[in-house]
Amino acid sequence: MNPRTVDARGLEPPEPFERAMEAIMALQGGDSFTLLLDRMPHPLLRVLDRDGYLHDERFREDGCVEILISRP
Amino acid sequence: MSSANPGLAYEDTPPLSAPLRFFLTAPLFGIAAGFLLLADADLLVSRWTPGALAAVHLFAAGFMLQVMLGALLQILPVAVGASFPAPLPVATVTHALVGAGAASLAYGLGAGSPNAIIAGGVLLAGGLVTFLAASLLALLRAAPAHGASRTPRDLRLALVALTLTTVLGVVLAFALVRGLPVPFPLPTLVDLHAVWAWLGWGGLLLAATSWVVVPMFQITPAYPARFTRLWAPLTLAVLSLWSAGLLADLDLTVTVLGSLLLVLAGGFAFQTLRLQRNTRRSTPDAPFRAFRLSMFALIGSLVALLLSLFHDAQQWPVLAGVLVLHGTFAGAITAMLYKIVPFLTWLHLTQARVRAPNMKKLLPDNLIRGQIVVHKFALGALFLAVFVPVLTPLAGILVVIEFGWLLLNLLHAVREWHRAVHA
Repeated sequence: MNPRTVDARGLEPPEPFERAMEAIMALQGGDSFTLLLDRMPHPLLRVLDRDGYLHDERFREDGCVEILISRP
Repeated sequence: MSSANPGLAYEDTPPLSAPLRFFLTAPLFGIAAGFLLLADADLLVSRWTPGALAAVHLFAAGFMLQVMLGALLQILPVAVGASFPAPLPVATVTHALVGAGAASLAYGLGAGSPNAIIAGGVLLAGGLVTFLAASLLALLRAAPAHGASRTPRDLRLALVALTLTTVLGVVLAFALVRGLPVPFPLPTLVDLHAVWAWLGWGGLLLAATSWVVVPMFQITPAYPARFTRLWAPLTLAVLSLWSAGLLADLDLTVTVLGSLLLVLAGGFAFQTLRLQRNTRRSTPDAPFRAFRLSMFALIGSLVALLLSLFHDAQQWPVLAGVLVLHGTFAGAITAMLYKIVPFLTWLHLTQARVRAPNMKKLLPDNLIRGQIVVHKFALGALFLAVFVPVLTPLAGILVVIEFGWLLLNLLHAVREWHRAVHA
C-alpha cells in the first residue's frame, strides 16, 4: 500500500486533472494514494470508473474533497 | 470503497459537438446585432425602437441564450453530475429551434412582421421546452448533491426563472401580435419579461456558474458560504415579490423591492471583485481582466437603472441595457468561453485517450488579448453612442469585429482539436 498524498488544490484546470492522472498511471496493482482537490471532480470519477480503478471520496470539514484512489 | 458511480456514466457525457454547436453559432448573432447598429444611427435613442428591440433579442436570445444552453449541457454533467438523456439529439433539436427562433423573433421585431414574431416565439419556446424537459430528467437522475457548493441548487433556480421568462415571452408575443387579452398593461409585461430574463435567468445562471468557475479558473478564494447560501434564493424571492407588486400596481413596494434587487445584483459584483483582488495569480490574464470589467459594467448598469428611476431621459434605460447586455453578459460570457472551450477540448481529448496539446496551444493568449481589446473599444463606443447617436455605426463596426474575432478564436480551438484527433 502506498500512503502517498497528491495535493492538487489551488491549481488552474487542467493541472489538477493532469497531476491526478500522473499519479494514477504510476499505481501498481494493490497501490493507492489520496488525492486532495478543491471540488468534486466528476470527469475524473468517470475516467476512474471506466478504467476499473476503485475510489472513495468524501468532503472534509474544510470544504476540500479527499479521494482515496486504488488500483485493484 | 466504491468502484462505480451509478449517477455518473461516462458514456452519458455529451460529445464535444453538443455544446460546441451553440458556442460557434452564438457569435453570428452578435455579428448580426453589430450590422443592425451599423445600419441605423438612431437605434439607441430609445429602448422601444424596432431596431433596439431586434438588437436586444439578437444579443439576449441569439448570443447569450445559445452560449448559456451550450454551457449548461456541459456544466450539469461536470459540476452537478446530472447527465442528459440522449444529449446529442437534445442539443440538435434545441440548437435548431432556438437558433431559428431567435433569428425569426429579431427579424419580426425589427421589420415589424407579426408572423415572424409569433413564429420566433413559438420556435424559441419549443427549443426551450425540449431543453428544460431534458434538464429536469438529468437533474432527477443526478446523484444527491453533497458538499458546500450551492451551484446545483442555484442552477435549478435559474432554470425555474428561464421557464417563467419563456412563458412571459410567449404571452407577450401573442398579446402584442394577436391581441391575446391580458389583464395587465403591455409595458408591465415587457418589464417582467426583461427583468426575469436578465436577473432571474441570466443573473442566477451567471452566479451559479461563478461559484465554481471564478475560484477554479481565476484562482481566487471561494465565495463566502453564507453569501452563496443566501444570494440566489433571496434574489428569486425578492424578484417574485417585486413582480407581484408590479402586477398589483403598488408603487412604493415596487420601488423598495426594485432597489433591493439593485443592491443584491451589486452585492454579487462587489463580492466577485473582492475575490478577484485576492487571487493567487501573479499576473491576471486577459479573461480575468475581461471578467473584472464585466463586473464594473454590472455596477455601472445598476447606477444607470437607479438614475432612470429619478430621471425621465430615454438614455438611462438604454445605457443600462447596453451595460447589462454587452458590458456584463457579453463580457463575462466571452471571458468564460475562453476558459471553458479550451478546457473542454482538452478534457474530451484526454478522455478519448488522445494526447492533448497544451491549453495555451489550443487557444493562444495573443488571440484572446486582441479580441478582448476590441470588446473594450466596442463597449466604450456603445456607451458614447447612447448620448451621441452619430457614433452608433462606429460602435456597430466594432461589435461586428468583436464577435467575428470571437468566432475565429473559437474555431482555432476546434481546428487544434481536429488536428489532435487525426494526428
